[in-house]
Amino acid sequence: MINKNIVIVGGGPAGLEAARTLRNAGLTPILLEGSDRLGGHLLEWDSLFPSNQKASEVLESLTADLEGIKWFTNSKVEEISRIKDIYLVRTSSGYTFQANAVLLTTGFSLFNATLKQELGYGIYDRVITNADMERYFATGEHPCIHEPKTIGFVHCVGSRDEKICNRACSKVCCATAIKQACHIKEKFPLAQVYCFYMDLRMFGRGWEDMYYNAQTKYGIRFVRGRVCEVSEGMDATLNIKAEDTLLGKPIRMKMDLLVLMSGIRPRKDTEDIASNLHIELGTDGFYSPRDPFIRTNESSNEGIFLAGTCTGPATLPETFSSARSAAARIIEYLESK
Amino acid sequence: MRERLLSGFDPFVLPFMIGMCFVLLYCLVAFVRLMGQLSRKERRRFFRSLFIPKNIARNVRDIFCDCLLHVKLWKRNPRLGYMHSSIAFGWFMIILLGHIETFLFVPHRAGLFYYPIFFRYFMVMEGTELKGSLLFFLMDFFLAVILSGIALAVYKRIHRAFFGMRRTTRLSLIDLIGLYSLWAIFPLRWIAEGFTANVAGGSFMTIPINWLLRSFMSNPENITAAWWAYSIALGTFMCVLPYSRYMHIPAEMILIPMRNAGLKVRAARRGFALVQIKSCPGCGVCIDACPMGLAGKKNSMDASAYLARQIRRNNQKNYRDIADKCLMCGKCKAVCQVQFDSISVRRLIREAVPYKLAHDYSYLSSYVESGAVSAENPVEVLYYAGCMSAQTPVIPRSVQRLLDTANISYKLMDPDGSICCGRPLILAGRSSQARELIRSNTRIIHSSGCKILIVSCPICYRMFREEYKLKGVQVLHYTEYFDMLIKEGRLAVRQGEERIAYHDPCELGRGCGIYNAPRRALSAAGSLVPVPKEKVESICCGGSLGSLTLSYQERSRIAVGSLKNLTANGPDLVVTACPLCLKTLADASDSTPVKDFAQVLCEHT
Repeated sequence: MINKNIVIVGGGPAGLEAARTLRNAGLTPILLEGSDRLGGHLLEWDSLFPSNQKASEVLESLTADLEGIKWFTNSKVEEISRIKDIYLVRTSSGYTFQANAVLLTTGFSLFNATLKQELGYGIYDRVITNADMERYFATGEHPCIHEPKTIGFVHCVGSRDEKICNRACSKVCCATAIKQACHIKEKFPLAQVYCFYMDLRMFGRGWEDMYYNAQTKYGIRFVRGRVCEVSEGMDATLNIKAEDTLLGKPIRMKMDLLVLMSGIRPRKDTEDIASNLHIELGTDGFYSPRDPFIRTNESSNEGIFLAGTCTGPATLPETFSSARSAAARIIEYLESK
Repeated sequence: MRERLLSGFDPFVLPFMIGMCFVLLYCLVAFVRLMGQLSRKERRRFFRSLFIPKNIARNVRDIFCDCLLHVKLWKRNPRLGYMHSSIAFGWFMIILLGHIETFLFVPHRAGLFYYPIFFRYFMVMEGTELKGSLLFFLMDFFLAVILSGIALAVYKRIHRAFFGMRRTTRLSLIDLIGLYSLWAIFPLRWIAEGFTANVAGGSFMTIPINWLLRSFMSNPENITAAWWAYSIALGTFMCVLPYSRYMHIPAEMILIPMRNAGLKVRAARRGFALVQIKSCPGCGVCIDACPMGLAGKKNSMDASAYLARQIRRNNQKNYRDIADKCLMCGKCKAVCQVQFDSISVRRLIREAVPYKLAHDYSYLSSYVESGAVSAENPVEVLYYAGCMSAQTPVIPRSVQRLLDTANISYKLMDPDGSICCGRPLILAGRSSQARELIRSNTRIIHSSGCKILIVSCPICYRMFREEYKLKGVQVLHYTEYFDMLIKEGRLAVRQGEERIAYHDPCELGRGCGIYNAPRRALSAAGSLVPVPKEKVESICCGGSLGSLTLSYQERSRIAVGSLKNLTANGPDLVVTACPLCLKTLADASDSTPVKDFAQVLCEHT
């Protein structure tokens, strides 16, 4: 088994964790990353809920020891073809790798918030997304954040929205919004922070406490209802229209900053990869596992495995466990061959 | 030429006579019932128009061009035009010539329905006469024309792509019986006349067949059998005619005078609408035109041809479903051969669905009294962005910037939200509820003292044009207004390099007939790229407010299809002039950016 090759596509948290697990089992996985750095979305995030640990620390521990892993950056996968039991993975860097098993850890992309034009992202400077907010936390700089007095967080942007043909929940934005709301409140204690939500899905361990603290300790106001329109006033403040469904009334507010919680969407190339590899997609556009309970890491095509958020929204701990279980499943598969 | 049978009768004419009498009786009863369904005013208008010489001329021309020659269809699709007109016009000519023959040779038989049809069975030719030969030649010529049409019709069933059609109407059983009997009529006539060609005379079609099959044809027993078969085919066709799509043949004779009398559709399934529904020949032109076809295969069953069929069948559930799902883009109406006003019919079907919710109009007064626009300092220009433009902030922002650049003093009608123009209610069939909104908006507009009202949403624009009575106020779509400013030199636009594909919003294009103003203005900013299907043929983006039940998945498939048409010639930019189109197309577009008309002008000032 030791001379069997495994190619992992995607060097984010799932890819890194799976590579480490396989390496620890004595194998030499090949890890391909399309961008110029390993880490995926962890690179763009400042801190992680609920513990507020820095994303960079997590990433550091993931990449601290890459001994025994052959990893390549700037290596976008161009084509995967199959000859009998061997997959040939051709990359944009010009290499072709032979693999007995391929693990897809291609992850997700954040919803493009400009598509919700009514919320004004890309039109008004003071409308930003959760990713912009994290960048601000990391760098401490944003051209439009100067002592904001009122800040709004809009949940479910690009998730649970029939209008953009996505009914699914992105799972992590509620907690992210609360984490970011508390952070910004710490930075600007005088600001009034509002969260516009549909439901607060605080299912994870410690998340309810976060929500409780947000209300009691930070004084964040939670408004149940969607923001429907945003316009800009004379002084570049934002006028928002929303609905408070608990009061049953439309409301209007002035905001100095509006943060859109962009949801988790499948990557654009998901469909191409799926048709290239003849693996099935779910109606939500993510890869479908062969079986929803037992064989969650296997695709509908033999020898192609799945881990992480390429199979749908997941929290970071879920992603890591999925990566480890995929590694275990790959070892089983290669031994049976 | 003299009569062969002294009695002038043979039992084989009976099937034809039964069918003929049935059709005539049916049409008579239907006509009387129809007149009962019209209001007194409509009835008077209709009958009066029948005696106005100008109208008579128009009726004759329209019946000739539309029903017989299918001029509209020729222009749209020559092959299909030939197929339909060869059968319709050829048949008409055969009947006409049959009557001329009867009048010329046996005037005392002119009162018999069947005589002109079965003329050659009853006649014997003695020697040759010039007028007889000429008539026979013409009869055979038109028979040949019809047979070529039938041959095309048969081929169309096998290979419709030859006619440039992707889809064609799926026929019901009764339509199929009608179709097959129609196909059978003319070959049977050919054979029947071939049998008697050596006795009654014939021409280049009938004499050769008589020679070719002499041994079979000279048997007198086969003669009656052939004429029986011909008569049975005619009888069958006429008996199923009132229940099939072929009812369009008599219905169109009423439709055209009614249309020329200026009648409007006022009820979904009665009066003028009923005539239109019966006039639908199911030619299938609307099926390919309908954007629903892009949403999925089964969605093509929502086209107008099927709406007409479901109404004819009185299947309430189905026709309500079809009516609710429609995007109301108006393309079927624009391409329809009989100008079936399916949009009004759909709206009226929606209106007939009871709606029990009480409406709360109390909020209206707060807008009227808020004094956002007041007469204290009246301005020339008022800008109404509308609720859809509020969802696409880039539009009102660009419009305001352009107005500022051109130094226009203007006021916003809805800086803090507005009262809806009422179009969504009208489209949903709630016109009486819409009246309340119209009243309040009219008061606000008049109290502003403006002379020009600019609207950036074609949906509102159409509403203001059609349903509002704004005396002394000129309503302009922003494309018209900016086009005017550019022409007058008040707004300078820099010529750019971009290749622009312009999407005609349904409500602006087919709805209000504005195709050129946006194109003129845009060509000042970039170069326009032709789009395969544009102007009247433009494909709805799928986002239309018109549909009440279409899912967002289906809508997005339509948007992708519409965008494919727009980007066919590889433009750098897709531009539209409607907030809803902008949103829908931008969502569907992966590579080509989609921008608003004002946004593009703004970038070039």
